[in-house]
Amino acid sequence: MQTRDEFVAQRQARWDELERLLLPDTPLYRREPRVISRVGALYRALCSDLMRARSLDFGQDISDHLNALASRAHNALYGPRPFSLRAVSHFLSAGFPQTLRRNWRTLAIAHLVFYLPLVIACAATMVDRRFALNILSPSVLESMASAYSEGFDAGRDGGVDSAMTGFYVYNNVGIAFRCFATGVLFGVGSLFFMLYNGLTIGATLGYVSVSGHGMNIFTFICGHGPFELTAIVISGAAGLKMGYALVATHGATRLGSLKANAPELAELILGAATMLLIAALIEGFWSPSSVPPPIKWAFSAAASLGLLAYVIFAGRGSQRAA
Amino acid sequence: MRQPALDTIAVVETPEHVRFSFELAGPARRIAAYTLDLLVRALLMALFAVAGALGGLAGAEGLSGVGAGLWLALGFAVEWGYFVLLESLMNGQSVGKRAMRLRVVTVDGRPLSFAQIVLRNLLRATDVLPVFYALGVLVMAQDRVFRRLGDMVAGTLVISEQSKKLEEPLVITPAPTPRELYELPQRPELAPKELEAIERFLRRLNLYSGARELELAEMVAPLLARRMGLRYSHPVRFLALLYHRATRRGTRANS
Repeated sequence: MQTRDEFVAQRQARWDELERLLLPDTPLYRREPRVISRVGALYRALCSDLMRARSLDFGQDISDHLNALASRAHNALYGPRPFSLRAVSHFLSAGFPQTLRRNWRTLAIAHLVFYLPLVIACAATMVDRRFALNILSPSVLESMASAYSEGFDAGRDGGVDSAMTGFYVYNNVGIAFRCFATGVLFGVGSLFFMLYNGLTIGATLGYVSVSGHGMNIFTFICGHGPFELTAIVISGAAGLKMGYALVATHGATRLGSLKANAPELAELILGAATMLLIAALIEGFWSPSSVPPPIKWAFSAAASLGLLAYVIFAGRGSQRAA
Repeated sequence: MRQPALDTIAVVETPEHVRFSFELAGPARRIAAYTLDLLVRALLMALFAVAGALGGLAGAEGLSGVGAGLWLALGFAVEWGYFVLLESLMNGQSVGKRAMRLRVVTVDGRPLSFAQIVLRNLLRATDVLPVFYALGVLVMAQDRVFRRLGDMVAGTLVISEQSKKLEEPLVITPAPTPRELYELPQRPELAPKELEAIERFLRRLNLYSGARELELAEMVAPLLARRMGLRYSHPVRFLALLYHRATRRGTRANS
């Protein structure tokens, strides 16, 4: 039988060569073909050395050393899939709307959870403006009311537009992501954030309306609202779906159920993020512009119909992405 | 079937039908890596701020608005996009993770898909709750493979990629005398895991103080002695002798 020393003496040169080849940080696929195939060959040899060292019990340090080397070679060889523009375009033109349609029940519930408190808070504030004080502080409400007292006939200069776009991206996408992420707490977080945001937005709309600037604020949000509010609802729906996967496991473990749902969760949230990006651009540059309100409303109607048609029709007849 | 492992590892079976184990990264090293990434991100934001300020000084009124907008958008990108971008480009690593030799892989040891990267990093918004990743660390601490919530949703693990040195063969000093060995069975019955534990212990002897060495050996030696019906005078020596008997290793002659 081969002794440990013979074994090491015979193989060490190959192990060291592999170690050297793995040293640079550049991904393997960017290196010379000769290096790639050499790493592959050395890795396969290493795998059999590892098995051998274990079965002949040459000692823990050899197994540990070979194991660590094998795991690094493995990670270098099995690199990630390269980024593909085709996959992105297929996702946006077919995959995302298909996933939305498959999850229509969750989406319907999420719409209720968001819009019901929004409408109630808005209506209650219109009836009695003190209702809004239960939700937001007087100073916030007053500043909102005065912000919309002017209207946008004069437009805003480009610098402010860009600043606000940045703010909207930061704020609104953050809200949507939190609506999603907190769903892992059995859906409770998503419910809370959707209710809370629904109430806040409703109270603000109601308060600005009773202050007499209702037309201004509704004209302002009509352009980006369809994208932004829908995206927040989709994020929340993804969060609810995640929470529900933890409860209704269909015989799997909770983690297994979560894992089975993960691909659709990622699709929902990536689609929502894309919509939020569109919304932020509209909200920063179009909504506050001096374009006359009728055109803004026409744009809003067209955008809403387009979005609806996209959700209902896009990607029908196209294969599900693998 | 599954034996509790001596170390925190995750076993992976590759397409080559080789099983090897990944050493898992514990909370301490992940926190260190995260702190490094936090510094990198803070540095990025500071650079953007300086660039923005210079731009504002240089020129037009409108530009400062553009600068502020850009800064906020960049802030967003750095807050939510930093890890997604780096883990995509660097095959499951970020600057901090590379410095700490950590890598994110799937639970079966394969590279991450973009969807997994997005999920594990969006879920930071929950792991970070209520403050300083308290929830994430709590979840990690009671999970067998140290996953935070984001890892659980995405099906990922954080592994450590430190290379191990090939050590000199273990030598027991002073060499076992025939008299000592006479009292031991020819082939002590030790499970592979037990042998592994003893070997790891013997290799680390020079790291322990004498008292600690005794303390650790006293946890194991009596159990083995009782099982085999043996007596011993010194627990560390007893473990070394058992190891030598079971493996025929540990002396220069036949190593």
